[in-house]
Amino acid sequence: MNQQELNNKLAQIKDRLIDIEQKASNRIFLLCEAQNNFDVNKFLFEDVGARFVIATGIDGEDCFEVLYHYSYDQTGCMITIKAFIRDREQPKIQSIAPFLPGAEWIEREIHDLFGIDFPGHPDMRRLILADDWPQGVYPLRKDTSRTKPPTSAFVPGKACGQLGRTIEGVESSREVKE
Amino acid sequence: MSWKMLALKKSPWVFHVNTGACNNCDIEIVNCLTPKFDVERFGIKLVGSPRHADALLVTGAVTRQALPRLREVYLQIPKPCVVFVIGACACGTGIFHTGYHIEGPVDKVIREIDPEAIIAYVPGCPPKPEAIISGVLQALSIL
Repeated sequence: MNQQELNNKLAQIKDRLIDIEQKASNRIFLLCEAQNNFDVNKFLFEDVGARFVIATGIDGEDCFEVLYHYSYDQTGCMITIKAFIRDREQPKIQSIAPFLPGAEWIEREIHDLFGIDFPGHPDMRRLILADDWPQGVYPLRKDTSRTKPPTSAFVPGKACGQLGRTIEGVESSREVKE
Repeated sequence: MSWKMLALKKSPWVFHVNTGACNNCDIEIVNCLTPKFDVERFGIKLVGSPRHADALLVTGAVTRQALPRLREVYLQIPKPCVVFVIGACACGTGIFHTGYHIEGPVDKVIREIDPEAIIAYVPGCPPKPEAIISGVLQALSIL
C-alpha cells in the first residue's frame, strides 16, 4: 500500500473522526472523541496493519488527551490517534489492551500519572509510582499541588517489607535473631 | 588513626547502589573496574553484599522508592564506612531537583539517619573514570 492508498484507506473511518490532519506527507493525526477511540485503534491495527509504537497522555486546557502513536512501516508514515476526554472529573477511555497487549503497560503508566481510567484493561495495578505514594494523587495533572506527599516513617530492617513481598514459611535471619 | 580505618584504606571494598540514576554514572563505575582502568591495583573491589563492604558508591538522586532501601543498605554496612556520592544527581539532585519523586540528594538522606557519616563527592555528568578514581583516592588519603 503506497501513501495515496493509505490516505484513501484512512478516509474509510472518517465518520468516527473529528478531523484528519496531515501535517506532512508522512505525519498524520486522526482526531476523535474518547468513545470512538477503541474502534479507530482497532481499524488502524487490524485493518490497516499499522504497528503500535507508544501512547502519550496530555493534560490539556479543558480536557485530557490520549495519543496513540502508530507507524506504518511500508511508507514510513507515523499516524497518531488523538482522543479527547472531555470529562475532567472522571476521565475514562476504553482500553485497547484486549486486542493489543503491547499497550498494557503504557495504559497503566498513564493511569498512574494522570488518573485516567481504562475500562476493559486486564490488569490495572500500579506500575511506576512508589509503593507508598498516596492513592488519588496524580503527579502530572496540572492542578496537582507542587508540595510532595510525606513519605512513610523509616523503620530499620523493614524497608523490604515495604516492597509488599513476603515469602511464606521463610523468616529473615534478622527476625530469627530478635 | 584506628586500625579499622587503616584496614579500610588499605583495601576498600565497595558496594554499588543506584538510587535513581540514568545508568550513565553506573557505566563509568563499571568502566573503572575493567582492565583499562583496573582499580583493583588500589585494592578497590566490588562486592555483592553491603555486609562485606567498606564503602558505598551511590549514583542518582534519591527517589521516593529508593529512599528506605538506601538507608537500609547504609545501616547494614559495618562502620566506619565511607559514602562516595558519584555524579551531579547524587551530589545535588541535578536537573531532577523539582521532580515529584525526588526526596533529595544522597548526603541529606544519609545524614538524616547518621549525622556523623563520612561522605565524599565526585561531581560530573557523568564523572570520567579518571575523576572517580582520583576522587576516591584523594578522599581516602585525607581520612
